[in-house]
Amino acid sequence: MQIGLTHYLSVAAILFTLGVLGIILNRKNIIIILMSVEMILLSVNINLVTFSTFLGDLTGQVFSLFILTVAAAEAAIGLAILVTYYRNRGSIAVEDINMMKG
Amino acid sequence: MNVAAVFFYLFSAIMLASAFMVIAAKNPVHSVLFLILAFVNASGLFLLMGAEFLAMILVVVYVGAVAVLFLFVVMMLDVDFAELKQGFLQYLPLGSVIGIVVAIELLLVMVGFTQSDAALGAGASPIQANVSNTEALGLVLYTKYVYLFQASGLVLLTAMIGAIVLTLRHKPDVKRQVIADQNARTRADAIEIKKAPSRAGV
Amino acid sequence: MPSYLEEYLPLVIFMGVAGFLAAALLIAPFVLAFKAPDTEKLSAYECGFNAFDDARMKFDVRFYLVSLLFIIFDLEVAFLFPWAVAFKDVGLFGFWSMILFLGVLTIGFIYEWRKGALEWD
Repeated sequence: MQIGLTHYLSVAAILFTLGVLGIILNRKNIIIILMSVEMILLSVNINLVTFSTFLGDLTGQVFSLFILTVAAAEAAIGLAILVTYYRNRGSIAVEDINMMKG
Repeated sequence: MNVAAVFFYLFSAIMLASAFMVIAAKNPVHSVLFLILAFVNASGLFLLMGAEFLAMILVVVYVGAVAVLFLFVVMMLDVDFAELKQGFLQYLPLGSVIGIVVAIELLLVMVGFTQSDAALGAGASPIQANVSNTEALGLVLYTKYVYLFQASGLVLLTAMIGAIVLTLRHKPDVKRQVIADQNARTRADAIEIKKAPSRAGV
Repeated sequence: MPSYLEEYLPLVIFMGVAGFLAAALLIAPFVLAFKAPDTEKLSAYECGFNAFDDARMKFDVRFYLVSLLFIIFDLEVAFLFPWAVAFKDVGLFGFWSMILFLGVLTIGFIYEWRKGALEWD
């Protein structure tokens, strides 16, 4: 049986759903939320690379590379905000983050 | 079933199982380790699809750097993670409803689309058979996609400066080396010669 | 199966051997080792005291900054690889576009150096 476009797309769809589930289920733990965001971006990457391969077009891989860059920057800044928040408040309770509104 | 299909099922099964464990594990350190496993297997999937460069970059950047960053942060924060796990079951009904809806929507998109044969190779930068993946990326990345490339440079710059501004705190009373000042010192301002009268005591 | 995948056969063999060894070393003690546990033998330090708390210890925040700067420059190097492979074909424009990219990141590098982010204290 030949592995085709739909196989990879299904895997990416399941991974995306798992990422969304992770955000909803772990609403208290912002570290897991950030990891779930990474998983969602990974599933987007899988989609892009799949279409790139099966359409014979390199653009998807180029965009996937850029998404990788943005995802790394996003993780870095998100964790930096988390570290600063922890320093100021001594906890990482997400419910209290709306106090940052000043 | 050929070898590539076997590896496809192996990689995707391990990836999805570890992605599930990322959101289900009790200990966040385990979550990070499962995230690493998921990324390694995704890189295997990329290899199967022929995106060799991206597969290697995924291992180098994600497994080597981003996951380590997550691990550092988990180890750095002294938080009772069992407490944060509360509400997992409380959100489970809502979560599964939303998850099922999202999955059905994605499935509908996947079943509903058709691919025209004309689309094959009609893209902006078609893959050539005799050029290696890395070289093909290099041929378009810096010329055709130059704006996006420079924008990603700016994104990296923003991330660097933002993270330094947010997390860098110097201890107030640490004496630091200032090499320029040290080199600029002359004998005149470093030592002073005083005439001391002899036999007068101090 | 595409032909380039055959070049990854050594990698598959390597992973297989590594996985086999790891599994063997984990499973062998259960099968081979002599086990006669009793409560005294399993208690902490026989004549000492129990552990007070978790063995996990807090890391210093400064490690975070170091690993973050590592990520940024890791990505910079990741962009350098295709450039180096296709260097002869990207022409003068590709060359200067990369130089501009490196220049932007050098600004960040100078900033972090001046701020003292590379110093430990």
